[in-house]
Amino acid sequence: MKKFLIYLLGAVFVIIGVLMCQGTVVQESSDGSGRTADYRGVDSLPMLITQVRKCSKLYTAEYRVHKIVTHDDVLRLKGSVLQREFNIKLPLGDRKIAIPIDAKLKAWIDFSQFSERNIERRGDHITIILPDPQVTMTSSKIDQQHVRQYVAFARANFSDAEMSAYELQGRTAIIESIPDLGILETAQANAAKVLVPMLTAMGYEEHQVTVAFRKHYDAADIQNLIKMED
Amino acid sequence: MGKSFRLGLILLGASLLIVALFWLRNCTKNDYLELGADTAIDATPTQIQSIKAIGEWEFLSVSLEELTDTVRKGFFSDDELSRIYYGTLRIGINMHQVEPGWLEAEGDSVSLTLPHVALLDRDFIDEARTKPFFETGTWKPEDREALYRQAHKNMLRHGMTKENLTAAEDNAREQITSLMRAMGFRKVTITFRN
Repeated sequence: MKKFLIYLLGAVFVIIGVLMCQGTVVQESSDGSGRTADYRGVDSLPMLITQVRKCSKLYTAEYRVHKIVTHDDVLRLKGSVLQREFNIKLPLGDRKIAIPIDAKLKAWIDFSQFSERNIERRGDHITIILPDPQVTMTSSKIDQQHVRQYVAFARANFSDAEMSAYELQGRTAIIESIPDLGILETAQANAAKVLVPMLTAMGYEEHQVTVAFRKHYDAADIQNLIKMED
Repeated sequence: MGKSFRLGLILLGASLLIVALFWLRNCTKNDYLELGADTAIDATPTQIQSIKAIGEWEFLSVSLEELTDTVRKGFFSDDELSRIYYGTLRIGINMHQVEPGWLEAEGDSVSLTLPHVALLDRDFIDEARTKPFFETGTWKPEDREALYRQAHKNMLRHGMTKENLTAAEDNAREQITSLMRAMGFRKVTITFRN
């Protein structure tokens, strides 16, 4: 009898444990059918801030870039005992994660300050002098389906805060790589593709139109032309 | 003799102990012990997947922050995940969608027929900038994807309002008129086609 009670208690604990792991509760539904209710609904709290800005930006080049952010999270015991430094990799303490990020970079020209000063006319020839193109990361997307992680038995899973910190570092690394991508040169060439048809429609011949920029940009200039939105 | 010898030994032992303690204290004053892991990501390349020539003219930008959360009911306690997403809706005119004869100039007059202002790009969330707000329990990538989609939907609802579209169209009219005046046209007519 005693043994039976012990087995019964054990079975009850196992059932409770399984239910907790599943995160699902069997609950009497409103129509009394006793169906399993899965509470995985997504709600949204009210929006925090909205900022509306008038502008006049002509986006002329779009680069889609891809980066796999990886992090090798090795747990280490570091210290110093009796003035002897040590740094030991702990066994069963490895965690690894790979997060693929897709981002869109767009180069644009600000037309909000465009005026007669940007136009030079010599006879039947017109030159449009454009302001410096600038670059913005307009969007980024984590490829959640292809995020891969390995977590050793003795470690906790990567938390949302940890993953977000790695993603932010990946975003910064993408922005830092912009000067190597040549996006400003592409933006300059593409600006002519938008403006020349407009000017030919106004009555100019293609050979009468010149779209000019201030200068050739070096790495220091490019850093100043990257616009962050945070 | 025996008593004073023992006293001497005790004094010597005590002195040695004090010296040893001072030596140990001196040796261990910079000692530390910490358990931790490096938080920096590895250096990996950024690859260009595509380059595209575009002609998107933005006249209004709506920057949004969206706090989105999901709750999973448990037996004893609920699991919760809250994240703050950031996005910018860019409203304007896609110049690649203008039709032939969209600009007609005659003397000092110009007439432009433009497509209506619209959302220039449906990819507007900067997910890598997302801030984690609160997390309890274990969450899968599918849960984060669902949160992203919810934030995307909410941002569209909050940002693509009739007021914002009207403001974008008004600003487009103002900016293009100003540009045409700079080009030397005195009379500018702008029509947004249906």
